[in-house]
Amino acid sequence: MIRLEDIWRTFVMGDQSLHALQAVTETFAAGEHVAIIGPSGSGKSTLLNILGCLDKPTRGQYFFDGRAIESLDPDELAQLRLNEIGFIFQAFHLVPRLDATANIELPMTLAGVARKERSERARAALESVGLGDRAGHRPAELSGGQKQRVAIARAISMQPRLLLADEPTGNLDTHSGEQILDLLDGLNQEGITLAVVTHDPEVARRAQRVLEMRDGEIVRRISADEVSDANPIFDRGRVGKRP
Amino acid sequence: MKPEDTFGYAVNALIQQPRRAGLSLLGVVIGVVAVIFLTALGEGARLYVTEQFQTLGTDVIVVIPGKTETTGMMPGFTGTPNDLTLDDAEALLRRIPEAILIAPISMGNDTVSYQNKSRQVVVLGSTPAFFELRGIPIARGSGLPEGDIDRGANVAVLGKETAEELFAEENPVGKSIRIGEWRIRVIGVNGPRGTHLGQNLDLVTIVPVATGMRMFNRTSLFRIMIELRPGSDIEAVKEKIEAVILDRHNEVDVTCMTPDAVIESLSAIVGTLTLVLVGIAAISLSVAGIGIMNVMLVAVSERRAEIGLLKAIGATHRQVLLVFLMESLLISTTGALVGLGIGFATIHVVTWMYPAMPAEAPIWAVFSVLALSVVAGVFFGVLPARRAMRLDPIIALSSKG
Ligand SMILES: Nc1ncnc2c1ncn2[C@@H]1O[C@H](COP(=O)(O)OP(=O)(O)OP(=O)(O)O)[C@@H](O)[C@H]1O
Ligand SMILES: [Mg+2]
Repeated sequence: MIRLEDIWRTFVMGDQSLHALQAVTETFAAGEHVAIIGPSGSGKSTLLNILGCLDKPTRGQYFFDGRAIESLDPDELAQLRLNEIGFIFQAFHLVPRLDATANIELPMTLAGVARKERSERARAALESVGLGDRAGHRPAELSGGQKQRVAIARAISMQPRLLLADEPTGNLDTHSGEQILDLLDGLNQEGITLAVVTHDPEVARRAQRVLEMRDGEIVRRISADEVSDANPIFDRGRVGKRP
Repeated sequence: MKPEDTFGYAVNALIQQPRRAGLSLLGVVIGVVAVIFLTALGEGARLYVTEQFQTLGTDVIVVIPGKTETTGMMPGFTGTPNDLTLDDAEALLRRIPEAILIAPISMGNDTVSYQNKSRQVVVLGSTPAFFELRGIPIARGSGLPEGDIDRGANVAVLGKETAEELFAEENPVGKSIRIGEWRIRVIGVNGPRGTHLGQNLDLVTIVPVATGMRMFNRTSLFRIMIELRPGSDIEAVKEKIEAVILDRHNEVDVTCMTPDAVIESLSAIVGTLTLVLVGIAAISLSVAGIGIMNVMLVAVSERRAEIGLLKAIGATHRQVLLVFLMESLLISTTGALVGLGIGFATIHVVTWMYPAMPAEAPIWAVFSVLALSVVAGVFFGVLPARRAMRLDPIIALSSKG
């Protein structure tokens, strides 16, 4: 479904340039569940942003369903994000003044879905994440886990084929985190393609494939059982620090 | 995104910050109230004067003692003119063939009394032509007597309200009243005429012009009103009048006013006033607009995360732009509507408290205020909305929110 060919992403600051991604070549098959791990600053988020068409590679080719992303204009990219891609963020990013239903409806509102259909679909999405009784709650009235479940309901409200999650459990306790991971697993089983960036070996172990990044490169491709707690990238003490 | 959804989204965002939205709205409201109220006063004055002159007909010239250089100013303040006399009036009647009615007018103020009742009134001295010229009907008795205008009998025609106040149910015709120290016989009563040319004709008392001048010790007439044959060349007649006066006074020490000239100079004044108002409107709406822009800039920087999210989930540049433009547009148009409401209420209260003060907001002002508010909303909203539109979603999402 997705083909990355020799992707580079270079940030130029003054006379310095920093390669956040270097020569990344990778294929994501439809229905796959891929975890992306690596130390802080290794380029995981940058890769996810490019996959989500929020960012464009400095060099290289990105094909989504055979379509070259490079050739799409901003409106077509927005259209692609709206219809094919769902985002889940570590910070949830719910609109604080809108209740759970309105937050879930947001992508459908952008797509011009009629009000009635919108609220039916939002309700169904809310039920599917187990929050049928929280429809009118605002984000401030929800726990972290509940917020992330609303965010998932929003991400899947347009029935995307690709779901991108950047540290989806990073702000959650173990129990809520597991609920979120179970939800994501379920979605993956229904056929959605899932890419999850994580620092947590438990999260990575749920994936079919794990990509390990370092200094902007994919340095290892391993299977879930090969994920070891001993890998220094999982040393929580180092999260957020430059290696 | 459907238009009603863009609208709903913007409304929702605004009511979450009621104080901030309210303050920027207040700026618009104040500007609009000022504009509506001031234009209402200007328009009211214009309507009032035009209406007054329209009932007079356009073929009328008013000769006023005193010379002014500019039309529109009240004459009589410059120099000490010769008296404008009854002989002048008679000369004009003889020598101006276009004049079909000439009414010399004197004016004074005194107490009119009958038995134990009295009242302060304007006492106009004139001739029967005056009744015709000003369209005053006679309800009872007769009007002023025809004949030699120099004679001046001690008779009066009472205004409708004056008659009612002094005589109640009694018939005033034939009764003797006092005007100041003068004993006068009532020969008639006016029918209702109301206020005309700024004078309530139902309250005046009309006496023969010679009587009026004697009564108040006047040597000069207040003015002479001349009605011309319809279709006369007013400018030509004006010159003839001035020639007659030059002949008699050795100088042109009168001013000839025509309704057209008055209306014209008044329109010029109203035009200038309108320009000033447009200036005030522009300034106050710019100030209000800058307020809106400021509020929107704050909103954009506070809602960076939200903007980033909208973009991430597939909002186009246009949609982001429209959401924020809609907010500034809502502030400005709501402000305009509230301002119009308060403005009209103010006009109502003022005309209720001071019925003599004409005030009427012209339709063009209402529409220009609405149009201007839309323009201001868009104009001052574009910068913040474009800033929102151009935000990099990745950077925006990494900010707190
Ligand atoms: N907009 C930017 N401008 C300049 N440098 C950037 C920008 N975004 C990312 N970088 C740099 O690119 C590199 C990769 O960043 P990225 O956010 O992808 O790391 P990450 O793997 O997600 O790290 P973390 O685990 O801390 O989230 C880092 O060195 C970062 O400083
Ligand atoms: Mg990251």
